[in-house]
Amino acid sequence: MCASEDNLVLLKSLEGKWLFSIGLNEEWISPKFNDSNWESIKVPSPWEDEGFNGYNGYAFYRKTINISSNYKDRMLYLNMGYIDDVDEVYLNGNKIGSTGSFPPNYSTAYNAERIYYIPAEYINFDGSNLIAVKVYDSEGEGGITSGDIGLYSGKTSANLDINLQSTWRFQPGDDPRRKESDFDDSEWSEIFVPGKWEDQGYRDYDGYAWYRKSFVFKTTADNEKMVLLMGKIDDIDQVFINGTFVGSTGEFPKNGGSQANTGQEWESFRGYYIPDGLLKKNQKNVIAVRVLDTGGDGGIYEGPVGLITQTKYIEYWRKIKKEGNE
Amino acid sequence: MKTKHYKLLTFFVLLFILGISANAEDLRKIVSLSGYWKFSIGDDTKWASPSFDDSGWDQLTVPGAWEQQGYNDYNGYAWYRKSFRMKEIPSNTNLYLLLGRIDDADEVYLNGKLVGKSGKFPPEFKTAYDKDRRYIVPADLLKEDGENVISVKVYDAYLSGGITDGPTGIYIDADNELLDLNLSGKWKFHTGTDKTWKSADFNDNNWSEINVPSVWENQGYEDLDGYAWYRLEFKLPQSFTTGELYLSLGKIDDIDDVYLNGQYVGNVYDLKKPAFSRGSGWEYNTRRIYKIKEGLLNRNGVNTLAVRVYDQQGLGGIYEGPIGIMSAENSRIYRSKHHNDQNRYTSFWEYMYDKFFGNDDLNNE
Repeated sequence: MCASEDNLVLLKSLEGKWLFSIGLNEEWISPKFNDSNWESIKVPSPWEDEGFNGYNGYAFYRKTINISSNYKDRMLYLNMGYIDDVDEVYLNGNKIGSTGSFPPNYSTAYNAERIYYIPAEYINFDGSNLIAVKVYDSEGEGGITSGDIGLYSGKTSANLDINLQSTWRFQPGDDPRRKESDFDDSEWSEIFVPGKWEDQGYRDYDGYAWYRKSFVFKTTADNEKMVLLMGKIDDIDQVFINGTFVGSTGEFPKNGGSQANTGQEWESFRGYYIPDGLLKKNQKNVIAVRVLDTGGDGGIYEGPVGLITQTKYIEYWRKIKKEGNE
Repeated sequence: MKTKHYKLLTFFVLLFILGISANAEDLRKIVSLSGYWKFSIGDDTKWASPSFDDSGWDQLTVPGAWEQQGYNDYNGYAWYRKSFRMKEIPSNTNLYLLLGRIDDADEVYLNGKLVGKSGKFPPEFKTAYDKDRRYIVPADLLKEDGENVISVKVYDAYLSGGITDGPTGIYIDADNELLDLNLSGKWKFHTGTDKTWKSADFNDNNWSEINVPSVWENQGYEDLDGYAWYRLEFKLPQSFTTGELYLSLGKIDDIDDVYLNGQYVGNVYDLKKPAFSRGSGWEYNTRRIYKIKEGLLNRNGVNTLAVRVYDQQGLGGIYEGPIGIMSAENSRIYRSKHHNDQNRYTSFWEYMYDKFFGNDDLNNE
C-alpha cells in the first residue's frame, strides 16, 4: 500500500455494472471502440460468479464516467481494488497503471490493491472518460474480485509541465554506464512508474536496479528553473539527466556493495532541482535512475513523477501548506 | 555507607553536567533574529540581494523545522530572509551571526555578501545538521542607518529541514573589550605546512584570506584536517600601552605553534595545564594566552604573526576569540573571568582524579 492513500477521499463509487468481454484485442483500450454489444458484469466480483465459471485467460472491462472540473486542482486516483491476477488500466487510451506481469513473463499480483494516479492531462473534464481494464487470469478466480472501486481525490495537484508517470525502461543490476544518455536500453523490460517492482514481475527482488526514460522537453518558458519530481522511492536513489548527476536521497554503499544503512529514505519525497542548462529544449532528454532496495518493497512507488517549473513548484507547496492549515 | 556514596556520586555527576553546559564565551546578543522570517522553497541567486522584493513570500518561525510549519515532506532548496535595523554598530569588537543549527547545508549572505557557509550543496552534498552556525560579521557590511538583510540559502536532503533550533541573532564577544589591540578579522591562510612560512619576511601575497576567529570548515575548507598556517601583518597604534603584553589567540582546534616576527612564542603545551586536567581533546578547549617577550614587538614598524595549526579531525582552526594583544592587567582580568571554564574537566573521572590526587594550584603558568 502506498502512503498517498492515507488521505484519499471517495468522489465517485465505480462499483456496479461494467461492460465485459473475454479475449484480447488492443483496440478495446480505445475510447472509440464500440462496446455496445458487450455483456454487463458486476464489479467487484470474480467472473466465475458472474457466468464465466471455469474461464482463465485474458478479458477486458470497460466503463465510461464523467469527471467534474471541480476536481481539476486535485490529484485524482482510480482505485481498481484487487485484480486476479494481472492488469493494465487505461483512461481514454492512456495507460495509467499496471500490476503483475502478463505472459510470457507471467507473475501474479492478485493480493495487491490497485490505486493508480490519473495524470490530469488524460482527463476530459466535464465530459465522458473511458476506463479500460485489461486483465489476465492464470487459474482459479479471475477479474476485479474485491475492493473499494472508485474515483478518489488526494492532495492538491502538482500541475506538472511534463508528466513522466508512464512506462519506463527497467533493468535489475547495477552498471555506471547505464546513466549515459546514449546507453542502449532497447533490450530492457518495461515497467510502469510509479509502482513498486514487486507488483510488476519482480517479486522478492532486493538490490540494485535502474530505470530509464527518454522524453522531449517541450517548453516555451524562458530559461525557467525546472524541478524533477520523483515522488517516493524505496529505498535510495541517484538520478541523472543526460548523463549528469541531478540529485540523490540516501547514501549508497562504497564499491557497489548492497549493504546500505537505510532508514526513512523510502518515505521521503523527492524534488530535485535541475542544474541550469542541462535540459535540452524541444529535444530528446534521458533520465536514468539508480535505485537500491535493501529489503521489502522496492522501486519508484509513488508519484507525482514529472517536471515542473520552480514557480509552479513554489505555488504547489504554498497550496499544500494552506490546506494543512485549514 | 551505600547511600552516602550514592549521594556523593550524584553530586559529582551533577557538578560535571553543570560544568559542561556552562557557556565558556561571554557572548551578548545585540540583535535578536528569532521569530518570523520570509521563506520560500526553491533556489535563485537573486534572492541573496538585499533589494529583492520578498513581500509575496511565505513566513516561517525561526528557529523551527519547516516540516512543522506546513512544509511536511519537503526536501530540497529553500531560502530564508530577514531584515533588521541597528541603531549603533559597536566598534573594536567582533560581531557574530548565530543561526543555531541548520539542516543540512547553508550559505549565509549579509546585504548580498557571502559571510559563511556550512556543509555542501549537491552534487557533492554533505550535511552539517549538527554544527552550530556562527559566522563572523564584517562590521563594514552593516548599515547603521537603514535596513540590513540576511539571506540564508538552505539545502535539506531529507527528514527535518531548515533553521531548526538553537540561538539566532547578532552577538558580540564581551571579552573583546579586554583587548588593547583587536587582531580579529581577515588573516592570510594556507593549507599544509612549510618551515619558511613562520618567517617575518615570507611573502604571503598569494595566500587566501580567512576570517579569524571562525572554524575553517565554514569558510570553504569543509574537509580539511591536518596542517594549515595563518599569517597576519599588523602595526601597533601610536602611544600603545607600555609594559608587559600578552598575545591572546582565543581557542584553537587542535594544536598551535605561534611565531611573532619569526620568533617562536609558544604553543598549547607551554601553557602548563596540569596533566591531570588535560584528558583527551583538551587542546582545542584551552584558551591561548602567551606572554610576549620584551623587545620582540616592533613598536614602530610592521609585525608579523604566523600560527601553524594542526587539526586532528572534525572542526579546525582559530575558532574562538578574543584575538589580539592585552595589557598585563587585562590579561589578569581575562584569566580570572574564565578561571572556571579554563579548568573545566573534560570527563567526570578527570574531575575525580583531580579531587583526590591533584594539587590545588590549577591556574599556574
